Amino acid sequence: MGNMDQPQQITDAKKRYSAGVLKYAQMGYWDGDYVPKATDILALFRITPQEGVDPIEAAAAVAGESSTATWTVVWTDRLTACDMYRAKAYRVDPVPGIPGQYFCYVAYDLSLFEEGSIANVTASIIGNVFSFKPLKAARLEDMQFPVAYVKTFAGPPTGIVVERERLDKFGRPLLGATTKPKLGLSGRNYGRVVYEGLKGGLDFMKDDENINSQPFMHWRDRFLFVMDAVNKASAATGEVKGSYLNVTAGTMEEMYKRAQFAKELGSIIIMIDLVVGWTAIQSMSNWCRQNDMILHMHRAGHGTYTRQKNHGVSFRVIAKWLRLAGVDHLHAGTAVGKLEGDPMTVQGYYNVCRDTHTKVDLQRGIFFEQDWGALRKVMPVASGGIHAGQMHQLIDLFGDDVVLQFGGGTIGHPQGIQAGATANRVALEAMVLARNEGRDIKNEGPQILRDAAKWCSPLQGALDTWGDITFNYTSTDTSDFVTTPSVS
Amino acid sequence: MDNPTPATTPKALWEGSGVRTVLDKLNAELIGLTPVKRRIADIAALLLVDKLRQLEGLQSQPPSLHMCFTGNPGTGKTTVAMRMAEVLKQLGYVRKGHLVAVTRDDLVGQFIGHTAPKTKEIIKKAMGGVLFIDEAYYLYRPENERDYGQEAIEILLQAMENHRDDLVVILAGYKDRMDTFFSSNPGMASRIAHNIDFPDYSEGELMQIADLMLERLNYHFDDDARAAFAHYIHLRRQQPHFANARSIRNALDRIRLRHATRVLEADHALTREQLTTLQAADILASRVFNSGASH
Amino acid sequence: MRITQGTFSFLPDLSDEQIGKQVEYCLDKGWAIGIEYTDDPHPRNTYWDMFGMPMFDVRDAAGIMLEVTACRKTFPQHYIRVTAFDSTHGTESVVLSFIINRPAKEPGFRLIRSEEPGRTIRYSIESYAVQAHAEGERY
Repeated sequence: MGNMDQPQQITDAKKRYSAGVLKYAQMGYWDGDYVPKATDILALFRITPQEGVDPIEAAAAVAGESSTATWTVVWTDRLTACDMYRAKAYRVDPVPGIPGQYFCYVAYDLSLFEEGSIANVTASIIGNVFSFKPLKAARLEDMQFPVAYVKTFAGPPTGIVVERERLDKFGRPLLGATTKPKLGLSGRNYGRVVYEGLKGGLDFMKDDENINSQPFMHWRDRFLFVMDAVNKASAATGEVKGSYLNVTAGTMEEMYKRAQFAKELGSIIIMIDLVVGWTAIQSMSNWCRQNDMILHMHRAGHGTYTRQKNHGVSFRVIAKWLRLAGVDHLHAGTAVGKLEGDPMTVQGYYNVCRDTHTKVDLQRGIFFEQDWGALRKVMPVASGGIHAGQMHQLIDLFGDDVVLQFGGGTIGHPQGIQAGATANRVALEAMVLARNEGRDIKNEGPQILRDAAKWCSPLQGALDTWGDITFNYTSTDTSDFVTTPSVS
Repeated sequence: MDNPTPATTPKALWEGSGVRTVLDKLNAELIGLTPVKRRIADIAALLLVDKLRQLEGLQSQPPSLHMCFTGNPGTGKTTVAMRMAEVLKQLGYVRKGHLVAVTRDDLVGQFIGHTAPKTKEIIKKAMGGVLFIDEAYYLYRPENERDYGQEAIEILLQAMENHRDDLVVILAGYKDRMDTFFSSNPGMASRIAHNIDFPDYSEGELMQIADLMLERLNYHFDDDARAAFAHYIHLRRQQPHFANARSIRNALDRIRLRHATRVLEADHALTREQLTTLQAADILASRVFNSGASH
Repeated sequence: MRITQGTFSFLPDLSDEQIGKQVEYCLDKGWAIGIEYTDDPHPRNTYWDMFGMPMFDVRDAAGIMLEVTACRKTFPQHYIRVTAFDSTHGTESVVLSFIINRPAKEPGFRLIRSEEPGRTIRYSIESYAVQAHAEGERY
């Protein structure tokens, strides 16, 4: 913002540290000339300052409150190399097309952070600043981690490549479904759904986020019945199969116990919910790494952070944190299903999960380059309101490295669960075959599905039931950018 | 009969096929060879007309495209084969248009059971393109009854017959030896559809080749050097192991060495002109001028 | 039963033309292609025997199809799969793998359950064909 008055840091120590209240910019949290170092951690906030608050002062406040500042001047700063510890807001741009909102860029020195701890990153970056009064709202849009910091994390315990090698499944998206209804099925009935889905052609079945150990089905019962279903389906098809056993529980001790039992029964995958918290996620990730287990992350609760466009944390940041923290599967949206997400923005989340090196891509909401330092790749999961009739769109949008989860689209099939699973698998394989043959699946997709349905009556049934269903609502999260920066 | 639309006139098809571009490239990069270039253009025309005839339902049998290029070393056989592969691709007779160039050693093994996999490996790599076998007659060694070359020939014959749509084979070598080879391998002879003979270059053409090569390297002869090199060509052609363009290239390499040594002896800064001009002295130091016996 | 390993097992068996198109797709991407066969299709039998080494420098699907035909001729009653390898950094693994030949009759697998305390069960899977005969005589 070249036309704004550049506030000056007060460099005279006597004035700077005399008791009282100073503007954040004067305290040194704004430096328009600062060039971020290769070792800095960068954050981009979308801020909405209160009426009358200068955007640069607001940006400086964000930098201050997410690093060393407090509301008043403290002399104890002078016992530290405080210039280094101060985060620096170094750029403020008005958000294109949205008056009153600004993108503010903040750089943090590497020494501000503990190695290998997302809890520490989040406590710093989003710990205080989101309740800060001078801001009406603030949203953490994107972050960049220097590769030196990335290397302090072990990352996904399994990753896309190794997962495929363990499953012996290549060249196509994986297929899954969530066992429904979410609540109320006994262990025996629950396992039935798992067996039908897997035998019909799915690779995975899945516990839902709130399936833990309720009165209608205790966890041990679920694990025992589900694993009988998994193994029976594996024998019936000759394929490796799995069912994400949700080990989410009230304490770490209990989660470890459940994970251990899943392992003893021969499960290849366990699952936790985002709500268990960053520390628990990293602990379970370590456990999975030691026990050859795939870790499925259900992003339960993320909407409380991610939904509002002006306040909270973008999912692309959550996805980056989760890749560092180390999960193998991550629900990252469908773009065509019942849950929110603009296609380009959702592709941005997928790229964060799967790239070796993420490039700046404003259209997809990626503001920073990110070198992933050979960290393994997270398999994104598309789940929620999708069905076989959208197969061409899903493959066109997301490619092969994704788990497509058709819950209702499998279990709700009029000819039964096996038929529902078969419909999805046939639609998937037919579409991949056609794409590899060079056909334009985006446009010819519906015809490819109809052709396959001629010899596959379950697919015909699926198309008859859901063929025309689409969820078209205005997206709540699109990326705001102009292709050429308007700011001089 | 309807007037043909512009897009379907033979001329438009010829231009549109991309063959013209390849032939132009061939013209630009190879001096002389007029009869060869004419034959390539004729074959291309035939193949294009075949396509038109097929569209009219006049002939459905795919033409045999295997060829034989005969001529002395350095007469441009490999370069023409590469362009031929491009022409065939432009016309849709091979899918990829790459050239796999091999000799006997790439096809024939050293012990029992070695030859078939080697030959098949080469055929696998050449599928969709052109297999160019230089000095193909070495595959056949009548003096040794158990020579494994015969096995390679049989596998090649099979591939030439069964995979006509996938593979074009070009055999190359000296004319007389090729003739002997064909007379003892009639099966091979009968599968060759086009024989193209590459004549030796004339002295004038060899001079043009030298100029073209030097131009690409940013050198040139001065007048005395040109006269000396013309004399060089005249002498060198009569000596043994003369290999046309290849001998010219080798001679120029040696001349550049002598030029470099000479200019380095100067006790003043070198001009651009001095760095690029070859003089008679650089040429006349050649042993070719000493005696008719050595080179 | 029909073993449904591989990328296209839920579709009708691929014709040579269809196989050729998939191979062409792989070659266009610069992937190497291997042909592997086995008579032990256990889901965790990773190492099927290689019918020659993976092919790295073949330009056209017709070249690969020569080997496909040869492998089928040699092992008509085996499972045969075409496997593509991507050497790109960050992948460096198999990226497509599909069955192109299978025995006329597939007896499938037996699920063996051994009961343990606390209702726990240990599972293993055993192929009927493997159990019945030695390698090479199974189908």
